[in-house]
Amino acid sequence: MGKLKHFIEQSWLLIVSSFVFGLLLAATNYALEPTIRQNRIDKLNRLAKGLLPDAVHFREVVERIELTSSRGKTSDIAVYKGEGDGEKCVGWSFTVSGSGFADRIDLVVAVDAKFENFAGYDVLMSNETPGFGDRIKDKDYYFWKQFKKGLPVGQLKLVTSGDPEKVDSEIVAISGATISSEAVVRILNDTVGQIKEQMAKKGLISNGK
Amino acid sequence: MANEGEARAGVYKDTLLAGLWRENPVFRLLLGMCPTLAVTAAVKPALTMGCCVIFVLVCSNVIVSLMRHLLKPHLRILMFTLTIATFVTIADLILRAYVPVMSETLGPYVPLIIVNCIIICRAEACASKNGVVVSIIDAVGMGVGFTGTLCVLAGIREVLATGKIFEVAVMPGSFLPWAAMGMPVGAFVTLGLMLGLVNLTSKARR
Repeated sequence: MGKLKHFIEQSWLLIVSSFVFGLLLAATNYALEPTIRQNRIDKLNRLAKGLLPDAVHFREVVERIELTSSRGKTSDIAVYKGEGDGEKCVGWSFTVSGSGFADRIDLVVAVDAKFENFAGYDVLMSNETPGFGDRIKDKDYYFWKQFKKGLPVGQLKLVTSGDPEKVDSEIVAISGATISSEAVVRILNDTVGQIKEQMAKKGLISNGK
Repeated sequence: MANEGEARAGVYKDTLLAGLWRENPVFRLLLGMCPTLAVTAAVKPALTMGCCVIFVLVCSNVIVSLMRHLLKPHLRILMFTLTIATFVTIADLILRAYVPVMSETLGPYVPLIIVNCIIICRAEACASKNGVVVSIIDAVGMGVGFTGTLCVLAGIREVLATGKIFEVAVMPGSFLPWAAMGMPVGAFVTLGLMLGLVNLTSKARR
């Protein structure tokens, strides 16, 4: 009883403050979360439009795609169909995630209408090291350009040296940021194949509708 | 009575001015070096970072000052950190909601304000020993001093690295941008030169 009294005497302020600050954070998060989510959706649309410039608008595919991570965890993702004039499919876009060097990396990936070639990727969210790992989002840097040249969809391999101009499955890593480069390649390898397979099973790709 | 009022006004003025020059966190105390070096490639992110630090400093100083009589000495750092972390998280959420571009530009440096020594230093040196008014004035003085320094440093770097400031060209057309000023080396060199200049000025005054 004496010990409990001593504990409460010493730590009551910390306990009360934790509770009050927790409530304050919850209230702030509750108030701002819709705006933050909307900002994220706007950015997703903007990035997808940048990757598929022929798309007039994006429409969410009703069927959800289930992804299984390398650790066996499953998650649902939404796939967006990029539609050009006359609702013609010009490509597909989706968001995939994985762990990077410092934090989670969220990528917006776009592929062509037949799901045969990459149209590119963009970074929706990352906290990679400025000047090094964050070059994964630098559109003027060779790493990003390697995914932009109609790279065939399939298993990619990261190499530390090579010709980044060559369009093949060998992706030349960013010097000084191998972990971040590896993260991008791993995220794409772990997810894109699964998405393609499931979309083919659902008959979404074959006819391009 | 009048003397007491004057003395109080003197304390307030002294507290405010301390952060701006005499105890400037960057030039004098060499605190908060991480954001000073990392986010000063351009004025906009430097200004945003400065505003976030002012917000967190004012809020944490107010809370610490209010609970200063309740603080247990061995738990005070824990309480300061808890308070600071709360307001930094709120600042981060506000940036993500209303200034998403700046939030992305600043990236991990906003959450890193939690470990910014200026804030914990002011909580320990001022707010835990003074009333709310003095704590607020101290926070504003220190915050504005920090923001001003960041903006001056960022202004010099941005102009020399791009020839522009706030996207407006300010250098003659023949100016060749110094790309290095936008890189970490530019931050170290500019800060070093500014610190040298401040020390020379202080020496000359003495």
